[in-house]
Amino acid sequence: MADLVGLLVRFARTLRAEGVPVGPGDVLTYCASVAALDPTDLADLYWGGRIALVTRHEDVATYDRVFEDFFLGTGVDPGELLELLLRAEPDAETTLETAAPDPGPDERPDEETTLGLMASDVETLSTRAFAECTEDELEALRRIMSRVRLRPPLRRSRRTRPSRRGRRPDLRATVRRSLRTHGELVALRYRRRRVRPRPLVLILDISGSMADYSRALLQFAHSAQRGARFRVEVFCFGTRLTYLTPSLRTRSPDEALARAADLVVDWEGGTRIGHAIDEFVRRWGRRGMARGGIVVICSDGLDRGDPELLENAMQKLARLCHRVVWTNPHVVAGGRGVPRTVGMLVAEPYVDELLSGRDLASLDELAALLPELG
Amino acid sequence: MTRPGSVAELTDALRATGYLADRGLATAVHVALALDRPVLLEGEVGVGKTELAKALAQVLGRRLIRLQCHEGIDAAQALYEWDHARQLMHIRALQETGTSSDEAVDALFGPRFLQERPLLAAVRAGAGAVLLVDEIDRADDEFEAFLLELLSDFQVTIPEVGTIVAEEPPLVLLTSNRTRELHDALKRRCLYHWIGYPSADREVAIVRSRRPEVSEALAASVVAAVHRLRAMDLAKPPGVAETIDWARTLEFLGDDLDAGTADLTLGAVVKDHDDEELVRTRLDELTARG
Repeated sequence: MADLVGLLVRFARTLRAEGVPVGPGDVLTYCASVAALDPTDLADLYWGGRIALVTRHEDVATYDRVFEDFFLGTGVDPGELLELLLRAEPDAETTLETAAPDPGPDERPDEETTLGLMASDVETLSTRAFAECTEDELEALRRIMSRVRLRPPLRRSRRTRPSRRGRRPDLRATVRRSLRTHGELVALRYRRRRVRPRPLVLILDISGSMADYSRALLQFAHSAQRGARFRVEVFCFGTRLTYLTPSLRTRSPDEALARAADLVVDWEGGTRIGHAIDEFVRRWGRRGMARGGIVVICSDGLDRGDPELLENAMQKLARLCHRVVWTNPHVVAGGRGVPRTVGMLVAEPYVDELLSGRDLASLDELAALLPELG
Repeated sequence: MTRPGSVAELTDALRATGYLADRGLATAVHVALALDRPVLLEGEVGVGKTELAKALAQVLGRRLIRLQCHEGIDAAQALYEWDHARQLMHIRALQETGTSSDEAVDALFGPRFLQERPLLAAVRAGAGAVLLVDEIDRADDEFEAFLLELLSDFQVTIPEVGTIVAEEPPLVLLTSNRTRELHDALKRRCLYHWIGYPSADREVAIVRSRRPEVSEALAASVVAAVHRLRAMDLAKPPGVAETIDWARTLEFLGDDLDAGTADLTLGAVVKDHDDEELVRTRLDELTARG
C-alpha cells in the first residue's frame, strides 16, 4: 500500500509539473478515491485520478497525456491503455488549424505594419515578446494607464437590501421591529433592489495592422483588470481568438504581459475579426459572459475574412450584450473621419458607440464614457 | 440499495432505472458515496446532468431534494425563512388574549413558523437525501461562498433555534453549464466529472431505454442525424434530451426520418433561428442513409 501511495503522489506531482493545478488536499482525495476503487483495474486508476485531480475540462487532455506517459512507463500494455483512453474521451476536440502556406521572408508582417493598411492572411505563429517595447516606453505607459480607472455602468440586480423606502415590504425586518412595540406595526420596512456594475469584456485586436497599438492595449487591459471591483474579461485576436483573463491575473504588469504574450500565438499575424467575434459569441458570450455586459472592441476594422460572417457575429453580439463600444485607432477624436473599410461598414450598424483609439488620451474618453452607458 | 458495493453494481442499478452511466460517471458517484464528497458535473446542455440525480435518488432509495439556482438566490430562498405573515397573526392573537408568557413568545420562533427550504431540508434528511444543486453557475459569487461553507460541514445555525447538524451528509450533486467559471475553492471540495456527448451506439441505447416505444431503426436514424448536426458547428448543438424529443416526436407522428419529416419536426431538435436556417439548406445531407 505504501508503494501505491508513493506512486500516486509521484503521479500527482508530475501532473502538477505539467501545469495542472493540484494541491495537497487533492492528492489526499486522489489516494482516498483510488482506495475506494480497485487500483489494479486501469479504468479505476484512470477515473479515480481524473475525478479528484482535474477540476477543469481544459485540463483533461493534459491529464490523459501525463497518465499515458506515467503509467506506460511502469509497464502497462499500450493497447489496453489506448482503448481505455478512447473510451475515456469521446468528445476530444481538435483545435489545431492548418496554417496557410508561408508567404516567404520578404512578406513578413513587419512590412505590413509600415504599410498599415493590409491585413495578412497568414497566421504567423510567432510569439513576440514585450521586451521589444523599450523600458522607458513601458514605464511611461504604465504610469499613465494606472491613472485610467474603468467604471462600467450599474444595473439593478435581483438581490435586495433593506431600505426605509421602496416597493417591496420587508416582512422579516417589519416583524423584527414590531417586537419592540409589542407586536404593533408602527412602521413598515422595505427592501429595494441592489445595484451592481455590469461585466466588462475587452476584445483587443493584436494583428499586424494593429501592432503598434496592441502593446498599449494589453497594458491597458492589465491595468483595467487590476484593482477592478467588477468582472473584466480580456480577449485578443488576430487570426484566432485567445482568452487572456487568467494570464493577466498577476500583480506585476511585466509578468502578466509576458504571460499573455506566451499565450498569443498569432501575434501580429492577419486579422479575421468576423471569425473572432463569432467565436467569442459562440464559446463565451452565449454562455453568459457577455449577457447584460459592455463589450469593448478595439480594432481598425481591417478584416480579411468574410464580411457576412462579421455582420452575423456583430448582430448576435449586439443582441446578447448591453452595449457594444468600438474603438478604432484611425478614428479622429470626436468620432469623425471613420475609414471606409469593409469591416467597419459592416459592423457599424451594430455598434452603439464608436470612439477614437488613437492615443492614450483617447482611453480617458473611453473611461469617461463607460459609466454613462447605463 | 443503500450503498452500492462496486462501480459495476451501481452502473447496473442505474441502468435498471433507464439511466445509462458510463464508467467515469459511475466511478465519480461511487467514490463520492464512499468519501462523502459532492460531485460537480459539468457538460454541454442536455446530456443528462439533472436526470442523473433523479435516477440516483431512485436507485439509492433516497429523497431527491432539488435547489434550482438563479441570479440573486439568497439564504432565505435556499436555506430557511420565517413565516412572517403567520408570526404577525400570532402576535396579534397573543395580544387579544393578553397572553405574554415566555412559552408563547418562544413559540413565535419555533418549528411551526420555520419554513424549510431545500438546503435545510437536505441537512435534516442527511443520508436519506440526494441533494441536487442545479445550475450553480447561475447563482453569484456570494451564494457560491455560502454553499461552500454548507458543503464543508453540513450544519446550519439558526440563531433562534440552534445548530442543526446532518449525522451523515447527503449525496450532493452540483451541475454547471459553464456560463461562468466556478471558484476554485468550490471545485476543490468536489469530485469533478465532465459529461460529454455519448457515442452513437450508447445514444441509441439511451433513446431506447428512455422511450421504449421508439423503434431501433428510428432511434438509429435520429441519432445518426443528430451526430451530423453536432458536426455542423451550430451555435447550440443538440443534446441528448433533444435527441430523445426528436425521436419521440417522429414516433408520435408515425413517420420515418427523411428530408421531408426532418423539415417539419426540426423545431424539436434545433432551437436557434440561425442554426435552423443553416440546417434547412442541408436537410438531404442530414438524413442521408449510411
